[in-house]
Amino acid sequence: MSVVPRSVRRIMAVLASAAASSLVLTACGSGSTASGSGGGSLKGQSITLYSGQHQQTVATLVKDFQSRTGIEVNVRSGDEAELANQILQEGPASPADVFFAENPPALTTLEEKGLLAKVGSSTLAAVPSGDSSAKGDWVGVSAREAVLAYNNGKLSAAQAPASVKDLASAAWKGKLGIAPSETDFAPIVTRMIKSDGEAATKSWLAGLKANGKVYDSNEDLVAAINRGEVEGGLIDHYYWYRLRDEQGASGIHSALAYFKPGDPGSLVDVSGAGILAKSKHQAAAQAFLTYLTSKPAQTIIATSHSYEYPLAAGVQNTKVSRPLKDAGAVVPASDLGDGKQALQLLQSVGLLS
Amino acid sequence: MSGLSISALHAAHGHTTVLRDLELRVPNGALACVLGPSGCGKSTLLRIIAGFHRPASGTVTVGGRTLNDDHTQVPAERRRIGCVPQDGALFPHLSVAANVGFGLPRAERRERVAEMLDLVGLNGLADRHPHQLSGGQQQRIALARALAPRPELLLLDEPFAALDAALRAELRTEVATTLRRAGATAVLVTHDVDEALAFADLIAVMRDGRIVQCDAPHALYHRPADTGVARTLGEANLVPAKLAADHAITAFGELPLTDGASDTDEDAVVLLRPHQLRLSTTSGPHTVEARVVNSGFRGHDYRLELAPDPRHELATPLIAYTPADAPPPTGETLHIAAHGTVHPLAPDQVPPDQVPNSATA
Amino acid sequence: MLPLAAGLVALLVACPLVFLGLQAGQSGWATAARLLRRPLIGTLLWHTVSLTVMVTAATLVLGFGAAYLVERADIPARRAWTVALAMPLAVPEFVHGYCWVSLFPSVQGYWGAVLVMTSSLYPLVFLPVAATLRRSDAAAEEVARSLGHGRWATLWRVTLPQTRPALAGGALLVSLYLLGEYGAFAMLRFTTFATAIYTEYETAFDTESASVLTLVLVALALLVVCLDARAARRGRVVREGGTARPCAPQPLGRWKALATAALASVTAVTLGVPVYALVYWTARGNSSTLPSTSILSATAATLGYALAAATLATAAAVPVALYAWRRATRLARAVERAVFLTRALPGIAVALAVVFFAIRYAPAAYQQPPMLVVGYAVLFFPLALTAVRASLAQVPHGVEDAARSLGVRPLAVLARVTLPLILPGLGAAFAMVALTASTELTATLLLRPTGTETLATQFWAYTTDLSWGAAAPYAAVMTALSIPAVVLLTRRTLGTPRTPKGVR
Repeated sequence: MSVVPRSVRRIMAVLASAAASSLVLTACGSGSTASGSGGGSLKGQSITLYSGQHQQTVATLVKDFQSRTGIEVNVRSGDEAELANQILQEGPASPADVFFAENPPALTTLEEKGLLAKVGSSTLAAVPSGDSSAKGDWVGVSAREAVLAYNNGKLSAAQAPASVKDLASAAWKGKLGIAPSETDFAPIVTRMIKSDGEAATKSWLAGLKANGKVYDSNEDLVAAINRGEVEGGLIDHYYWYRLRDEQGASGIHSALAYFKPGDPGSLVDVSGAGILAKSKHQAAAQAFLTYLTSKPAQTIIATSHSYEYPLAAGVQNTKVSRPLKDAGAVVPASDLGDGKQALQLLQSVGLLS
Repeated sequence: MSGLSISALHAAHGHTTVLRDLELRVPNGALACVLGPSGCGKSTLLRIIAGFHRPASGTVTVGGRTLNDDHTQVPAERRRIGCVPQDGALFPHLSVAANVGFGLPRAERRERVAEMLDLVGLNGLADRHPHQLSGGQQQRIALARALAPRPELLLLDEPFAALDAALRAELRTEVATTLRRAGATAVLVTHDVDEALAFADLIAVMRDGRIVQCDAPHALYHRPADTGVARTLGEANLVPAKLAADHAITAFGELPLTDGASDTDEDAVVLLRPHQLRLSTTSGPHTVEARVVNSGFRGHDYRLELAPDPRHELATPLIAYTPADAPPPTGETLHIAAHGTVHPLAPDQVPPDQVPNSATA
Repeated sequence: MLPLAAGLVALLVACPLVFLGLQAGQSGWATAARLLRRPLIGTLLWHTVSLTVMVTAATLVLGFGAAYLVERADIPARRAWTVALAMPLAVPEFVHGYCWVSLFPSVQGYWGAVLVMTSSLYPLVFLPVAATLRRSDAAAEEVARSLGHGRWATLWRVTLPQTRPALAGGALLVSLYLLGEYGAFAMLRFTTFATAIYTEYETAFDTESASVLTLVLVALALLVVCLDARAARRGRVVREGGTARPCAPQPLGRWKALATAALASVTAVTLGVPVYALVYWTARGNSSTLPSTSILSATAATLGYALAAATLATAAAVPVALYAWRRATRLARAVERAVFLTRALPGIAVALAVVFFAIRYAPAAYQQPPMLVVGYAVLFFPLALTAVRASLAQVPHGVEDAARSLGVRPLAVLARVTLPLILPGLGAAFAMVALTASTELTATLLLRPTGTETLATQFWAYTTDLSWGAAAPYAAVMTALSIPAVVLLTRRTLGTPRTPKGVR
């Protein structure tokens, strides 16, 4: 009976795609032994984490962090966009100390409003500099990659396009699926604007609109590709892995293809965390970010059910078929900005309202 | 003083003035009746006395206690004034006994409820619910409920209007008897003159938000202040007359004045009730010739409408009652004589603020 | 006292509107004009309006038809049908949505949305209409028959107009719900104006623009509320005295089988599909290794908050409804109607408004349990008000005055006369709010105390990670918890079937 937001939209999409099998969530690997950052004097403090990230992974991370540092973490899980809106409304009185987002635009929005504190330099140094805010207001923690998922009953690996630009060609008419309202989509548009200019991007988007069927979420889209409703579509890689867990190998009729390195579609999107400028627990909050980028935390991410790439050097996600470095040079997250220009373009062609 | 006393009462609903400069006194133990057409403000008057409506100004005292004046507005629950509304307004979720005992302290309840049910003759119905009662029974229970806390004053708002004619007549006599036995002071509001005449010791005739005359029923019937009151109390023939020291000179000859003397005005209108007119087939010294226009059988008599000969300059029709054994046929010409005393009437008074604008401009 | 209490409640309930006004006020006309000129806005507005009109019409037809059959026709097992027809209310709308899409992937777009929303919302029309039909006096219909009208003409010219206030009230709730709804449509791949609002909140993080767009919804809601006021006024039924004689069921003859089959198919579509899917889920979900304590604590939290919210919303509805009922002034009616506007607001707007005001004016209560309870009460106040208002309309005027003239103080009059008389309405209000609050998600996520999980948030947490097997029990428990509320609601709205009294 309630008015339901995007969070439920996600539930529905997931449920819709999940009618044929069940899944048991296994606890994430937690056997890491390396020690996190010291928190001796901070022991007994508590911080509040607003998390839009994968819940089970965050729960495992928090548990490990608490046992290492004695700092208690109150986790408020929710949809990242809703949490960002909540922080904006709360203003300086926000009870949040740390915000852990799924995508950069939410963090960049807070950064632009001056709501974030600087992240410690050693923490920033733990991950490649391009994966964090250029101003040092938030730090990258994990990454996901934009890919083309295609139905392998209808398309072969060889037919997969090398560039995301090809999807606007007439060959894809009626075969393409897109989810332009997803936060992962706008960064591709932003990159296209940077590489090809606004006019070309606009006509590309118009091509996508003409070719494509618009889905409301990536979960929805990947399920539609898998059952052959459309032949292929742009998603983040982990949706396909989660679908595979969900459906079992026998239920999978789709595969992933990657755009060539340097292509606007070959995008690595970062999930990061920042500290609220008005937080009264700056030290404990810094300790948490330091932990997130530490090897034990990165290992938890690499082995979790979230299928994201860890960012710290020397940690690999072995559950994902292609290593992150194959994607080529990563565009600095800060180059993507808050995505306003991309958004306006999407709205002007009518892909977004 | 005891009893109900209202003076200089003004009241409004929003921007509409409902009561203006209203005066009313009801002595202790009297059954008074406020009689007037619907919309004259009589229900508002009752609601003000009960404390449900706040007057614009004026005072209301009951038994010497001031309930309303410029500084006071005693809330309804502290007025000790009982109410019997038109529909009874029994509490549908409570039994008859619980309804009657509603206003009583717990300790007194059982005894007083039995007493009150005895008083209204319904002591077998204590456990019934309102919807299981007939309309007459509901009104009796409403009366018992209102009387139970021994109010100083009882207000009845057209309490018999929803009942059929026979029951209405029976119940109003019964209620009047009950109230007299209980020694209650009561104000009943009605538009039904028969009800007022049968019920009240005192009738206050209300028109356009004020009491135009308040007196005993008999006095009011025979000595109405103006033509409006005369008509309100019953059918009236208004006859032009010239007044002399102790009589009026009319088309029916010289008729003695009810009150003996008057301020020898030149022209006036006097009241002749229909039963003061006698019909005859032969003319006499002071008879008026008239033609029967309409006749209606009423069981005990006939009611005739008569068109008098135009040269008498009388209003048409004249109303007369004639015994049931000799109904004159319609169209027949008769001769009318008048007897008894007559009462000079003032014209209807129009309140100053109701004079049309054109007159004041 | 009463005007003060009613005013305070109205002010509290109007908070979201004030918030929207404040936010939208910061954006200016130029921005507003730019927002509204976007290519998709017009299309989405049309989607919203056409869907609202269609679904409202469909729920009116279905709700009235079903109510007429169970209250006026000689259908077998009428009481059982009544409960079955009200039961879709127990199924949270995301369960409705999921069931359809998972079993019939082709159910999507405009007609899919019409089908799913109609089958989940028609009880909002069915219940009040059935209640009106049950209470109405047989005399009017008998007179119509004696004036030479056949059964159909009587139905059209007498029975239907009698139920007009109930139809108007149901249509109001249905259409306001549709205006602000987003999630269920997203699932059915149907975009509405609310989509544009969510884009501003969740993709652009732009509260001001979102508020400007939301005010467009408020304007639509205002239109709906005014239309409803007109419809209800024209159809006001005046009947004095509480001794209506119930109508005898009409023999349907050879149409009986067809009518029963129609009811059966409505129930199969609106109830059978969700039940089938729930059973399917639960059967599939038994492989999940869910810690049973968590579902217990989530159930306890859900129940606790739903009951507290139901209590608060019902208590808050009493002064507003009483004030409007006693005064019947233009202002009182306007206040009463204005609170309905919040019903058309997207949940996120209401929740952010509560965040905005709570952190500024009640920081001690921020993210504490009372804040969530207040948030629910603000969101679902119109539901409570509708029920309380309907039952107050049945109270004979004058009983309160009579009680006071017997020397009883106003508060005692309330306790001894008015509240007992509107007890069924209070029960219906309580059940409706509890039912709705127990499945609420958006506001819950934003307003709950950190660390608190309800059935809805846990369900959401599992399903966003595709662990739908683990999520299944939460949906099942949510639905099971709602069943008593629906039964209570049905009883309270309809009352127990009356036996003819007086003449025996």
